[in-house]
Amino acid sequence: MSRGVLVVFAAASLTEAFQDIGAAFERAHPGVKVEFNFAGSQVLRAQIEQGAPADVFASADLLHADALAASGRTRPHRAFARNALVVVTPGGSPRVRSLRDLAAPGVKVVLAAATVPAGRYARKALERMDGDASLGAGFAERVRAAVVSEETSVRAVLAKVALGEADAGFVYATDAAAARGRVAVIALPEGLGVVATYPIAVLTRSTSPLAAAFMEEVLGAEGQAALRRRGFLP
Amino acid sequence: MSAAHARARGLALASSVLVAFVTLPLLTLVLALGPAEAARHLRSPLAARALLLTLQTTTVATLLCVALGAPLAYLMARHSFRGREVLDTVIDLPITIPPVVAGVALLLAFGRRGLLGRPLELMGLSIPFSTVAVVMAQVFIASPFFVKAARAGFESVDARLEEAARTLGASRWRAFWTVTVPLARPSLVAGAALAWARALSEFGATMMFAGNLPGRTQTLTLAVMSAMESDLDTALAVSLLSLALALAALVVAKVAARRSAVLA
Repeated sequence: MSRGVLVVFAAASLTEAFQDIGAAFERAHPGVKVEFNFAGSQVLRAQIEQGAPADVFASADLLHADALAASGRTRPHRAFARNALVVVTPGGSPRVRSLRDLAAPGVKVVLAAATVPAGRYARKALERMDGDASLGAGFAERVRAAVVSEETSVRAVLAKVALGEADAGFVYATDAAAARGRVAVIALPEGLGVVATYPIAVLTRSTSPLAAAFMEEVLGAEGQAALRRRGFLP
Repeated sequence: MSAAHARARGLALASSVLVAFVTLPLLTLVLALGPAEAARHLRSPLAARALLLTLQTTTVATLLCVALGAPLAYLMARHSFRGREVLDTVIDLPITIPPVVAGVALLLAFGRRGLLGRPLELMGLSIPFSTVAVVMAQVFIASPFFVKAARAGFESVDARLEEAARTLGASRWRAFWTVTVPLARPSLVAGAALAWARALSEFGATMMFAGNLPGRTQTLTLAVMSAMESDLDTALAVSLLSLALALAALVVAKVAARRSAVLA
């Protein structure tokens, strides 16, 4: 952690938005280099718990951020963005054209693992859709039975769908936007209430004065504009 | 103190760095959990299912490596033909290419939208995300270890012994089974053990081509990665088990190789 280098651990879904913000931050702070480690938030949390040298942690859910704050590894976190959950299908002739099709025979669904924020949100969304009579009886259970892989990050889910190997996957709206042209999007029912919240925090062990500045950049007008451009919600 | 003795001491000193570097992490892993604690975590559903699936898939993969690799090894050992060394290099390639790249290649060939995806689909087969995909990834990565050892084993058997058996009236097939295979057996066993160990440690190609689902495609290595994110002790216990299995395979290979040295 030299003076000029800032190490940011960020959820995989933040990849493009944070690269934009990082580039702007480097322009505003000549001589400073922002290094990113993008992965599933649960991986980043485990790495931080094992002593990885990070300055800033941006998670895709409150669970992992709360855990690190509770154990004193980060200072208090602040929410900086939200993200909608959607279903993506491969471009071309997808077998899944509606949410109902997710439970059709032979359909292959990919989720992020239950420890991955996107995986937890997806499972929560399925649970809440279960009561919806238009989706058929036992919807959530039938979709769970159609799951063929539990990936370690939301981007791995996106890749399997974009390659056409899976028929559908649960990802964030911003991931779908990042793969525009390669995947088709099915929105979840309105009022489902499953929205990802992104908190950001400075690590207790960080000695870089830039860490707080980067956090302010993300929360500030420019950072927020960059996040909006990539499809994140305020 | 003789000069040779002094030289050996110098070499031992120079070697100690690497030996310590390799031993230390392995020892730390062994000592991280007590045996009782490790056994308890290995009874977790995640570990138990991963172990069962790994034993099943690696056994099938090793049998396939032997069945499909032996004729190839014998061909290369007994016949000289144009392109033999090119073929040898291609067969060895899975040893050196990154496993995750092998996974991408397998997807492009056998994936749903891959080269053979359409014909396979018409036959009602869909390979990615299946246990079959796990076995295919293992065979792809592990086969060179058997083929190399088997070729060396067949080459060590004097072709004149096969001819002698033939002049005594044995068919080619009978001569192969009664003369060549018994003499080459130590190499064949060592090659199969190494191929099995490599299949056991397969991760990258499996993750890419077969995905990660408990009970269907989640082998021990994938279970370690999944557990690492939620339950460190289970990850350690599964790692320890994998280490023990790898060690067992290596011992089998070494003992077999020693027997081959005695025979020769």
